[in-house]
Amino acid sequence: MKKLDRLDWAEGLALSAFGVRVGVRVNAPGMLEHVRPLLPPGWKKSSGGAVQRLYSLIVGGDGERPGVRRLHVLYADSVRLGRDVALDHVLQALEADLHLYVATAAPDKTFLHAGVVGWRGRAIVLPGRSFSGKTTLVREMLRLGATYYSDEFAVVDGLGLVHPFARPLGIREDGSQVQTKVAAERLGALPCTKPLPVSMAVICKYERAARWQPASLSQGQGTLELLANSIAVRNEPRETLLRLHKLAKGTAFVTGIRGEANEAAASILNLSGKKDRLEAV
Amino acid sequence: MKERQFPGARTDCLSRKFESELLVYDPQRHVGHCLNSTAAAVWKLCDGKSSPSQIAAALSQGLSARMDEPVILLALDQLAEAHLLVEPQAWEVSVSRRAAIRRIGIAAAVVLPLVTSVVAPTPAQASSCLHGGSPCVTNGQCCSGLCAPVVQRCVGG
Repeated sequence: MKKLDRLDWAEGLALSAFGVRVGVRVNAPGMLEHVRPLLPPGWKKSSGGAVQRLYSLIVGGDGERPGVRRLHVLYADSVRLGRDVALDHVLQALEADLHLYVATAAPDKTFLHAGVVGWRGRAIVLPGRSFSGKTTLVREMLRLGATYYSDEFAVVDGLGLVHPFARPLGIREDGSQVQTKVAAERLGALPCTKPLPVSMAVICKYERAARWQPASLSQGQGTLELLANSIAVRNEPRETLLRLHKLAKGTAFVTGIRGEANEAAASILNLSGKKDRLEAV
Repeated sequence: MKERQFPGARTDCLSRKFESELLVYDPQRHVGHCLNSTAAAVWKLCDGKSSPSQIAAALSQGLSARMDEPVILLALDQLAEAHLLVEPQAWEVSVSRRAAIRRIGIAAAVVLPLVTSVVAPTPAQASSCLHGGSPCVTNGQCCSGLCAPVVQRCVGG
C-alpha cells in the first residue's frame, strides 16, 4: 500500500453509499468525471475520517517510448483487481466491484440480487441470477407504468421495506453478453426514493415460447428463494433471516416459467393489484 | 456394538418460523433449509432423549391425529440428509418418499415431511456476472469466478 501511496495522484473522492465509506483516487486529471456515473446510486460526498475501502485507478495509455502502451490498472486497497489495455473494461470492473462491496458491507441492510419495481404503493421483487431476465421484465413493467427501483439489487431494511438502488438499467439486446446502460427516465419511468413494503416476490425464469402460468409458493419456500439470492447471507445469516422474515409478512410468493416479458409483466402487475392474489394463482 | 442414540437436533443452526414452516440456516455448511410443518415439528422434538416412537406419540398428541413411526423415520432421514441432526449418519435410512407413502397409506391424514435446501451463495455468486467468453478484468466479474489472464476473457460459466 505504501508503494501505491507514493504514486502521484491527481484527484480523489471520498463517498458514502448505504452507510459504507469508500475512496477512489486516480492518477489522471479529469478521470473522476468518468468514475462518477459508475458510483452507487444515492452516493454522497463524504468528508473526513477513514474509508473502508480505497480504489486506486492508474490510467495507462501511450508510454514514453513509441509503440509501447501502458496498461490501465485497478487496485482495491493493496490488492490488484485487474489490468487491461481498454479503459472501459477497467471502469466496468471498478463499478462491479464497488457495487458488490457496498452490497456486502452495508450495515442495517440486506441486499438481494433482484429487480424491483413499485406498483400502487408497494414493491414487486424479482429475484434471480444473471441472465434470468430480470432487467427485461423490469423494463416491460416500467413500460406498463410501474416506477423504477432497481434492476440489480433489492435493498431490504430492518422493517422489511425495500429501498431503491436505481442505477441505469443494464439492457442486453437479443441475448448479447454486452450490456447497454439506459437511464430509467429514458424509458419514461421515474426513479423513486421512498422505501416500500413488498406486495409480491416473483421467482421466474425465461424460456423461449413458454406460457406464463404462475403458481403460488409458501412463505417458507419463497423466502428460501430470496435467501438463495442474498449477497451477504454467509457473513450475516442472523440479520438476513430477520430482515427476510419481516419482508415475507404480507408478501405473496409466486413462481413459474415465463416466455415473452410483455405477457408475464402484465400478469404480474395484475396479480399484485389484487387483494386475493394467492387464490388468483 | 455401539448403543444407538436418540435423534438430537443441532443447536447451532439459526431458525425462523414462517407460518407453519421453519426456515433453518446452517452457518457451518452455509445451507438454508425450509422444513414443512411435519418436518419442523419432528425436528423440534429431536431432543436426544426421545425415540422415534416417542416422537410419534408426542406429535400425535399435539396434532390430535395419529402419527405413525414411518412418518417420523422419513422425517429423520431427510433431516439427517440435510445435516440438521447431531449424528446424521445414524438416521439416514434411505426411506424413499414413495415407499413411505406406501407404508403409511394413501389415506394418511398427515402432511408428509419435506425438507428443501439451497446452498447460500457467496457475494460474487449472488451478483451480476459475465458468462464465458466475455471480456473481463477481474475474476469477480465472471460467473465462473475465473477471468483468464492474457486473453482477458471469462472462462466457463
